[in-house]
Amino acid sequence: MKQSHRFNAVMLCALLAMGMTSVVYADAVTTLQDEYRAAGAGPFSASAGEKAWTTAHKDAEGGPDRNCQTCHGTDLTKAGKHQRTGKAIDPLAPSANKERLTDVKFIEKWFTRNCKWTVGRECTAQEKGDFLEYLKGL
Amino acid sequence: MAARKVMVWDLPVRIFHWLLVMSFVMAWLSHESSRYLDVHVFAGYSFFGLLLFRLLWGVFGTHYARFAEFAYGPKEVFVYLKSLLGKGLQSYVGHNPAGAWAIFLLIGFGLVLSVSGLMVLGGEEQQGPLAGVVSFDQGALWMEVHESVALLLLALVCVHVLGVFSESIMHKQNLVGAMFRGTKWVAGESATVPVHHLLGIAIVVALIAWGAVSFGGYLTATADKPYLPFKGPQLAMNDTWQEECGACHLAFHPNLLPARSWQRMFAEQDQHFDEDLMLDEDVVTELTAYAIANAAEQQKTEAAWEMQRTISKDQSPLRITETAYWRDQHHEIQDSVWAQNNIKSKSNCNACHMDADLGTFEDAAMKIPKPSTNPTTNSSKGEMQ
Repeated sequence: MKQSHRFNAVMLCALLAMGMTSVVYADAVTTLQDEYRAAGAGPFSASAGEKAWTTAHKDAEGGPDRNCQTCHGTDLTKAGKHQRTGKAIDPLAPSANKERLTDVKFIEKWFTRNCKWTVGRECTAQEKGDFLEYLKGL
Repeated sequence: MAARKVMVWDLPVRIFHWLLVMSFVMAWLSHESSRYLDVHVFAGYSFFGLLLFRLLWGVFGTHYARFAEFAYGPKEVFVYLKSLLGKGLQSYVGHNPAGAWAIFLLIGFGLVLSVSGLMVLGGEEQQGPLAGVVSFDQGALWMEVHESVALLLLALVCVHVLGVFSESIMHKQNLVGAMFRGTKWVAGESATVPVHHLLGIAIVVALIAWGAVSFGGYLTATADKPYLPFKGPQLAMNDTWQEECGACHLAFHPNLLPARSWQRMFAEQDQHFDEDLMLDEDVVTELTAYAIANAAEQQKTEAAWEMQRTISKDQSPLRITETAYWRDQHHEIQDSVWAQNNIKSKSNCNACHMDADLGTFEDAAMKIPKPSTNPTTNSSKGEMQ
């Protein structure tokens, strides 16, 4: 009996550890949105994020207009395609791709890169918070 | 003594002769395009193997196949050639002296052609038994030998064929037919020649088996697991490189550009083809170190060797597709092919090069895909996370 108690205790700890890990991952969005709030942004709206996602921006060099769909495609549960190299981009919707929105550093890196390419400048904390609000529900 | 039908060329000699012709033609037709290097090498090995058999058969074979039987001196050749012009036409059951010299020269040049081919394969491709023994530079020199000897051999073949035809007419003897049937019409004395059926069949079976070994892989290949006739050296890989570079494009292996190009690439990472990569300093340090340690100067592949020797030392190109070597290798590919939606970009190496991910770019490991009918299909295999 003593043995099985110990076993249960170990299992409980393991479950707790797993649960906490998943909480940490799931919370990449919360962590970032908290940071954005600390910078004065918020509240965040999924509909604002969705609207900004499809808003077209002029290409400074006169090419076709760009928006997020240019590379990520119109259906975020499906793979997108890099505009210049043609390389496949994994689906962005967390429902289709569990690895999405789990890595704070990764999200920030691609926000900066992709906002610069698409919008022509870095996105504001408000815009990024709205994007995350929109994307996490997909 | 009335002329009678006599067996002169045993079956192994005849099979050797026609398979040698076929392998020479096959090698000739496949030499132009790197894509068919596997065919060329198959033909070359077959050619070499057949010649080695002929050397043995020239010692241990049947009467008219033995070298000793047709080892005529220069004087006999001269006398024979003179007899062709005059009246006293000499007749030989086996090879006549002039034909004999052509045979020795053909075999000799054939052997030089085979050995020089192995040198090129070992040097330029770092494949075959001499891989790692012959350097890229030596391989390039052997290529000159290989090409010159091939031309000489072709010229000799022409002389041989002309000789066969003129002999056939002058002696009223179908020599081409004799090389198929093995028999000639002989009036005088002749040696008895056994046919050696089994050995003849064994040569054919051996060659078919060799073909199955060489090309069987194509039968079991699938789109995801293509058959690579040549496997290149295992090049050093780096996970960060694959992840960072592979996010937007094929993670081009560093052996495709010189170290100075990679240094410039990462020094200018804020304007990487109009994009700011914003890589952390420690990531840049890791990637630069990996790139320099595995750059073209290491000469691990044919492409690396070509890149490091053809890019001028004061140049540090960033685009692989702008180097002279790349352009030279791809100049025959038409715009319509590049525009195919399963190729689309010149940076999409793995659309055609099946070992692009490995960075080896072996000659025969490529295939231009058929235009796809599905507009969303993309052949890029790696994907962004």
